[in-house]
Amino acid sequence: MYRIVILFALVACSGASPTPTGTECADPDPITGTTTLTWDNFGHDFMFEYCTNCHSSDLPNSKRNGAPIYHDFNTLLGVLEVADHVDEQTGWGPKAENNFMPGGGTNGRCPSVPGGSLDEDCPEPTAEERTNLAQWLACERLRSHDGSGSAN
Amino acid sequence: MRMASRIGVVVALGLIASAAHADHHGMAMMGEADEPTAFDASVDLVAASYNTLTEAGDYEGVLPAVGWRHGRYGVGASLGLYRIMLNGLGEHGIGDLMIHADAMVYSHEHITTGVMMMVSVPTGEEIYGLGMGHTMLMPSLYGAWSAGRVTVNASAGFSRAIAQMEAGHDHGVWPLVDPMNMSEIAWSAGCDVALGRGVHGTVRAAGGIPVALMGHERVIGAARAGWGSGRVDTALEVQAGLVGDPFTIRGLVETALHF
Repeated sequence: MYRIVILFALVACSGASPTPTGTECADPDPITGTTTLTWDNFGHDFMFEYCTNCHSSDLPNSKRNGAPIYHDFNTLLGVLEVADHVDEQTGWGPKAENNFMPGGGTNGRCPSVPGGSLDEDCPEPTAEERTNLAQWLACERLRSHDGSGSAN
Repeated sequence: MRMASRIGVVVALGLIASAAHADHHGMAMMGEADEPTAFDASVDLVAASYNTLTEAGDYEGVLPAVGWRHGRYGVGASLGLYRIMLNGLGEHGIGDLMIHADAMVYSHEHITTGVMMMVSVPTGEEIYGLGMGHTMLMPSLYGAWSAGRVTVNASAGFSRAIAQMEAGHDHGVWPLVDPMNMSEIAWSAGCDVALGRGVHGTVRAAGGIPVALMGHERVIGAARAGWGSGRVDTALEVQAGLVGDPFTIRGLVETALHF
């Protein structure tokens, strides 16, 4: 019984389950500020550094290493389609610090090239990057988009 | 137990199992006819391909099951071992442990009815589509009517995950190897015909209707051929996903031994 209690405590404290970070965008969204996070100055580089070797619409199903179909982060609109999932799996915020991705489900292994085999340890976003991810998503999902992936 | 009742219970429980858990238990639930106490062991082989909104691939599994019955009451358990290909990622692992208990409530010349409680324990890896991620409670009712070579049967039950969930969030159906909603009405209906010499054929349908939480309706159709000899029963079944995306096609080979 003691071991079971410990096990449950470890699971509860591990933050393993996807949890919304609770991050909110400042109102109004300071999009004109030079430090504001956007797809162009943050989201694109984050996704292509940590995600798109599996989460890309350019990859056939057999090359996604388990990444769900329609969870494609090589475009802004692709990210926004499942922004909640991204926040719950990778973002850090006041209510959760989610570390499931990258590497969740693949024992921390990632492909070094798009669609490749799991041949390297996954690069890990820093705490600042995870926090910025949640903040960027919180603001980006509120902005209007023209369908091209650019914010208006 | 009369043979007609036995057949009715076997088929009805098999239908419930198929609605709630991939049709893996029906043959392991009953012993030899007229034996007040019986122990059964079975092994199922399953192979399927699937193509859902977010996942595509195939899986194969080996599902051993054991059952014990005394008079009107029966209990059983099964645990599958799977190999799954999920969007290009290959994994192996066990599925959710399934435990059930049933009681025959009424049995007459042509009619048999009963209740069943099935519980799944989340031993399978949710992320790979092998487990539900939550304990599921699945109480149900079943009934069968037999006349001559024909047995018609149906079941209905309520399945619910033991978890706090947002009603407005679409939880979808899961796991891939045994898809169901987090909260649903599960149903099944079928007809079994004894063809002689221990051979019988069955057609059936089963499905789930989401209730209380968002989900997806599903319906499967199946055709089955089975035969029994002595203490061994064997069956082949082909299933097709008709509504929703439970799977594209699935095949089963089942062998049960009665002690």
